[in-house]
Amino acid sequence: MATERDFYEILGVPRTASQDEIQRAYRKLARAHHPDINADPGAEERFKEVSEAYDVLSDPQTRRRYDAFGRDFRQVPEGTDPDAWTRQRTRAGAGARGTAGRGGAGGGGPAGGFGYTAGGEVDLDDLLGSLFGGRGRGVGPIPGADQEAELQLTMEEAFRGGRRPVTIAGPGGQRTLDVTIPAGVTNGQRIRLAGQGGSGSGGARAGDLYLIVSVAPHPRYRLDGRDLHVELRVAPWEAVLGASAAVTTPGGDSTVKVPPGSSSGRKLRLRGRGLPNPKGTPGDLYAEVRIMVPAHPSRTERKLFEELAAESDFDPRSPQ
Amino acid sequence: MSFALVRPARLDLEDFARATGTHPDLVRRLVTLGILDARRGPGGELWFAPGQAAAMARIQRLRAGLALNYAALGLVTDLLERIAVLESALRRARRPGG
Repeated sequence: MATERDFYEILGVPRTASQDEIQRAYRKLARAHHPDINADPGAEERFKEVSEAYDVLSDPQTRRRYDAFGRDFRQVPEGTDPDAWTRQRTRAGAGARGTAGRGGAGGGGPAGGFGYTAGGEVDLDDLLGSLFGGRGRGVGPIPGADQEAELQLTMEEAFRGGRRPVTIAGPGGQRTLDVTIPAGVTNGQRIRLAGQGGSGSGGARAGDLYLIVSVAPHPRYRLDGRDLHVELRVAPWEAVLGASAAVTTPGGDSTVKVPPGSSSGRKLRLRGRGLPNPKGTPGDLYAEVRIMVPAHPSRTERKLFEELAAESDFDPRSPQ
Repeated sequence: MSFALVRPARLDLEDFARATGTHPDLVRRLVTLGILDARRGPGGELWFAPGQAAAMARIQRLRAGLALNYAALGLVTDLLERIAVLESALRRARRPGG
């Protein structure tokens, strides 16, 4: 475990906390971060941290030793005087040989006296192994939990697919996975990365990691399932007389025929030009007509519009 | 260790216990408590769908990690399943906002 956070800090309790408070804090955090309840890839790591902290602080004896000696308390022989040990520790860097503390006399302790190496060898596997399997000894290997993380893609990435590095929190810090995104993934779709989820205990297989796709909003396109909606701006005369207009799609430029007499809101469908579908028919692209007028018409334009206004008996507000 | 998550589409009690690294008595008990789903064969023997191996793993993790008893485990697994259904419905509902 890369983090060296204080166990009290991990549980969010003061050093003076009672055993009851420690237990309460642990139960709350364990419920919040249990890998089956919280599918976030970082949750498993937090759950392990919390459990490790509780393992130590829940037992008054190990807690006392932790308070006196810190994280490396397992390296310190039973009955060592904390002050002597601190002095020893400051000298250890210079390679000084220990004058034994009180209870350490004889040096027969299992940790082999004071010759500990900095960053010593606390058997983390042993410690963590007890989290899932160990508490009830005799429990066999338990496969890891499945995890979920959101994968935000741009519209173009969703359209074309391809490879992309994805950074995920996990045991031992962040890791980066090279993920193949199939062309045409849509919102809410899940990409399964087998064996990249929570780690199993006792050699059991790891869970799977599911990346849930979320396509980022695009300034030009709106996504509805696999259908793409795009605005098609036309001039009033194009809307009346019909026109061929260029429209940009994520798959490249395309031409739409605007039929004569198209009002704003008319949707022109380009079949199969939406998001591709790996397992079936691709979505469609809908170009929605939007009539735009010149904000500052030229003198001639104005005159022509005035003529049209005088000539035309078209009433857009008549109830048909 | 490998898990028989492939066809055959069902496992008998012994195979299921072996695949999940558990004792058949525990598996039988979880079935009685309605925590694991199993079907009865013609001779009254238990058959398990391969997906139940993942359910078993979850039960073991919850029990080991949160010290839940078997009655609570049934409740928690039911609630987790309901939450999963609700979350996916929520994701579907949010979908049009692309």
